[in-house]
Amino acid sequence: MTKFAFWLTLLLILAGLAVSRLAAAPAAPAGDAATRAALVRAILTDGPGRQKLLSDLANSGSRLVRDVLTYWTRDEIVLYAAPDGTSIPVFLEEQQDSEGKARAVRIDNGRFLADPAGREMRFASGDLNSVDTDMRLRSTIQQALDTLTLADPDPDARRSAVVKLGNSQKRQYIPILQARLPLERDAEVRKALGEAIALLGMNDPDPAVRVASINRLAQLQSLGSIDALSRVAAAPGQAPEVAEAARAAVAVINRHIANVNFFGTIFRGASLGSILLVVALGLAITFGLMGIINMAHGEMIAVGAYTSYVVQNVFGSGFGFAITLPFSMGGRLLSFGFTIPGINATGWWYQSYFLFAIPLSFLTAALAGLVVERSVIQFLYRRPLESLLATWGVSLVMQQLFRMVFGANNVQVDSPAWLLGHFSCDDVNFGYNRVFVIIFAVLIVLGTWLLLTKTPLGLLIRSVMQNRDMAACMGVRTNRVNMMTFAFGSGLAGLAGAFLSQIGNVGPSLGQNYIVDSFMTVVVGGVGSIVGTVCAAAGIGTADQVLQQVLGSPVMGKIIVLAAIILFLQWKPGGLFSTRSRSLD
Amino acid sequence: MPNTSDTIVIRRGLLSRIPANLELGGVIMAALVLVVVIPVLNVLAPAGSALHISDFSINLYGKYLCYAILAISVDLLWGYTGLLSLGQCMFFTLGGYALGMYLMLMIGKLGQYHSDLPDFMVFLGYPRLPSHWVPFRHFWFAAAAVVWVPGLVAMVFGYLAFRSRIRGVYFSILTQALTYASCLMFFRNDFTFGGNNGLTDFKFIVGYDLRSPATQRVLYLCTCLLLFATYGACKWLTRTKFGKVQRAVRDSENRVLFSGYATANFKLFVFVLAAVIASVAGALYVPQVGIINPSEMAADKSLEAVVWVAVGGRGTLIGPVIGAIGVNALKSWATRAYPDLWLLILGSLFIFIVLFLPGGIVSLPARIASWRRARKGGPSA
Amino acid sequence: MKPEIILTVEDVNKEFDGFKAITNLNFYLDRGELRVIIGPNGAGKSTFFDLLTGRTKPDTGRIVFGRSTDLTSLNEFEINRLGIGRKFQTPSVYVDHTVFENLLLSLKGPRGVFAALFHRTTAAQRSRIDELLGLIRLGPKRDLRAGQLAHGEKQWLEIGMLLAQDPQVLLVDEPAAGMTDEETHRTGELLISLSGKHSLIVVEHDMTFVKQIAQDRKVTVLHQGTLLCEGRFEEVQANPRVREVYLGRGKAHK
Repeated sequence: MTKFAFWLTLLLILAGLAVSRLAAAPAAPAGDAATRAALVRAILTDGPGRQKLLSDLANSGSRLVRDVLTYWTRDEIVLYAAPDGTSIPVFLEEQQDSEGKARAVRIDNGRFLADPAGREMRFASGDLNSVDTDMRLRSTIQQALDTLTLADPDPDARRSAVVKLGNSQKRQYIPILQARLPLERDAEVRKALGEAIALLGMNDPDPAVRVASINRLAQLQSLGSIDALSRVAAAPGQAPEVAEAARAAVAVINRHIANVNFFGTIFRGASLGSILLVVALGLAITFGLMGIINMAHGEMIAVGAYTSYVVQNVFGSGFGFAITLPFSMGGRLLSFGFTIPGINATGWWYQSYFLFAIPLSFLTAALAGLVVERSVIQFLYRRPLESLLATWGVSLVMQQLFRMVFGANNVQVDSPAWLLGHFSCDDVNFGYNRVFVIIFAVLIVLGTWLLLTKTPLGLLIRSVMQNRDMAACMGVRTNRVNMMTFAFGSGLAGLAGAFLSQIGNVGPSLGQNYIVDSFMTVVVGGVGSIVGTVCAAAGIGTADQVLQQVLGSPVMGKIIVLAAIILFLQWKPGGLFSTRSRSLD
Repeated sequence: MPNTSDTIVIRRGLLSRIPANLELGGVIMAALVLVVVIPVLNVLAPAGSALHISDFSINLYGKYLCYAILAISVDLLWGYTGLLSLGQCMFFTLGGYALGMYLMLMIGKLGQYHSDLPDFMVFLGYPRLPSHWVPFRHFWFAAAAVVWVPGLVAMVFGYLAFRSRIRGVYFSILTQALTYASCLMFFRNDFTFGGNNGLTDFKFIVGYDLRSPATQRVLYLCTCLLLFATYGACKWLTRTKFGKVQRAVRDSENRVLFSGYATANFKLFVFVLAAVIASVAGALYVPQVGIINPSEMAADKSLEAVVWVAVGGRGTLIGPVIGAIGVNALKSWATRAYPDLWLLILGSLFIFIVLFLPGGIVSLPARIASWRRARKGGPSA
Repeated sequence: MKPEIILTVEDVNKEFDGFKAITNLNFYLDRGELRVIIGPNGAGKSTFFDLLTGRTKPDTGRIVFGRSTDLTSLNEFEINRLGIGRKFQTPSVYVDHTVFENLLLSLKGPRGVFAALFHRTTAAQRSRIDELLGLIRLGPKRDLRAGQLAHGEKQWLEIGMLLAQDPQVLLVDEPAAGMTDEETHRTGELLISLSGKHSLIVVEHDMTFVKQIAQDRKVTVLHQGTLLCEGRFEEVQANPRVREVYLGRGKAHK
């Protein structure tokens, strides 16, 4: 049952993501020719019909209309008297030739104006007469322009236009906004429209209208109007009932802000927790199952993150580095390096780099883990304390190598466009990158759990980890199992690194920031217990974020979490899910 | 499992056993060089002569010796009790801060802002000295704080950790977390200890000018004396029945527990003692180096101290001293000659020692001897 | 006259993650008695010792030492100081210490931190150690490190360390493991000679050895954490349920 609920939730989240992506897709420029014809008519018509034509155009939301109208307000629409006696409205290109002349773009079809022989015609700026305008026409066009932005195909652009108008304090926009309201489909923009109308309503001379507007804002729980409301509440000479309503509205909105912050915090905590989860899951395998304290686990995270960086560069202009050693041999400086040529991908192909980076991060980190296991750790299986020390040495070496290859400064990994942005639910913003991380973390945990419990390989791994000697006696090639298990644990760290690169910067000491946290997670969860690790990672991640929010300082939050963990271990020294209750050391 | 751990201990035991007379001779020689020869050369040999030891070098040696004391404290825990603490640098730094607070208040109006308050407090807009800073005007209070503050921290943490039987790697991880937490705390400006800049620009100590070579010489000699006192005290400790229990805890804690010893108390005693030793070393370190800041207690520093012990040879008292001085001398050289490669060198050195020379440098003679014996005995056997 | 009971175990239950290690166990040990406990692997013998020595706490039930000392609220070293010594299944000695030091550390006396700091070994203590060395026949090896002893010698050393504590009750887990027949026999004789003055519980698998030390004493059989039967060795040996358990015709356990 719980399983079903889980999958359902997952499905819903995915569906939500898909829908919101579709809504954001730009609408195809339909009816381009019709729009152009309408534009030409509006320009050439003189008289009352123009008003109607302009307002129709305004509702089209077309960028073309916006551009043309903007030119018009600047008197840059000019008329070309064609030999056949008709007037052709055109505008001149910005780029001028040596004689100061420019080509003319026809508004009716978007092509360059040409003489009957088909040669492009060129004009200087004073050659043609501009279309007449006056104050009234200008204001009509301006109004149409305002309406146009409200009809922009991109909901984000629409929303910001609405907010701009709402904050303008000009009541004349109210009718425009109200006219837009029945046409608007996007829920967020609709809400913004309501807010803007109410905001402007606060400037109404009639106190009753002001109170109604304020109450409307309170009802909408409008975050953006809290400053305006506070101003109204404190304004000298304000009608008492208005001030009272404003104060009440501020209180309502403040409560809402607290809620939004709370859920936002939980969400960020969940995403941090899920990264910690992937890191800790790798540790749960190397530390919990194998008994190896891998201090270089953090560097495996960095390997994954840098892999994403390299993949991104390879999709772009390429990646290369060169190291010069600080001493010479036979009078020559020793230097080495290599370059991977870029494939200069663009568009969706470039945006898809991250899909390649994910598996590659896993593989590179797993490979690094393999090398470390073969070169150092295989000698230390029975000496946990010493494995801690040797792997610390490995971690130092790796950090220095990162510095030499990628530089000491942080590098920036750009999120692909499809991970930027967010969707909102009751003002709580859910960043796509974080949602993605959470979903992926859940999938990784499930995959690992299935691998360990349901596959023959998992059985093999568990048998070797429980009793290496016995497994060896039973014919299990323990060497290989150790190697693969360690590589798998490291690979998980690499995956975590790929996700981290989407949330923050990547630097040589990236892993150091997570290593203490992730060791804590494993210890709290109970060594060797995957369920425990999952619970501990989620708990620590959330606690960390919530405390940061409550205390207003990331450091104090961390300190309190650490202190809490130390005290927790007093109560349950074996962690949440102790698997060692019957062992005799 | 028990069998393998037995063999490791046996091997380590064999390797790290140094003949007593050799050790005594070495210690006397070292004392002679450190306490007599070096200061005399510093004062008497003319500058520019091959024998001259500069004031800078004296200062540097003083720093190494502080590290050597720190290393002994690490070894007392790790080599003798089996507790790999990754928090010794925190105690070292705490001691440094305790004395640093006193030194800070001794600057008086000579600071940049010519105020009675330490510079950073003026900068951060403190109206007056925080009340917990006030008693640090007195040297003796600061000196006492060097002992009781880390002692108390170690007591509380150790009590909690040992009570709940946290041992082995779990102990290491927890001490590292503790250090990490306190490091974060000291990095904060509102923790009133100067944030990430720490305490610096010291001028006077008990009325003497810190910048004069004579004062530095005296501090150097104090460090030498403390080193030998620590060495002597630990030597004595390891020879008492307490020391035997300590090593018994390392090798078979259950047996000790089932023999009626409250092992937690023994471990707590060693933990607090080691914390105090580290702290006193830190207190001597600060006036010689002239600065103390939170980066001294970063997790890496504690691990570095463990490297010194491992390189020198754990489970001996000479090993940590050799390791601390050797690795730091190497560091001074390498960070100047090949700054980019230092971490590579340190990391590789550590991997090498753990894998191939678990007994450290002091085990080398025994190792070579047994190798030669094996070569001689090989063909006939 | 009925002998005094030194260990009372009543209605004790212990469960690990759903696995019932000990179920409704009742057990009484007389002062000066030598009791042998046998039982197949997983019968709960080691858990039983863990419960007696404070290593694990029972879920329910009471464990009383002497007349009224409740052991369930005490931890390992407190129980040891009361006079209950335990020898582990795998010999547990201090490998880096000499045989002499091993015994010195085990010798009855104050156990505090400061007592250990300012301890001076007295002549009486030395002669007691020499006496023990003679008893466990390790006299010539007194200055050898314990890690260098043979397996059987380590077993003897651990028994010596137990005796050095002069406990009232000795819990001895598989003392004969890794010993030659001759050493085993001598161990048996040593244990028998200790009974009367000390009370002993011996867990053992080696039936010859059990027969040697049990003679006509009481033997307890544990199976799946419960007491299967108690009686003289021959009675127990003849018991059909015991035979079933040992021959493996019973239900598969664990």
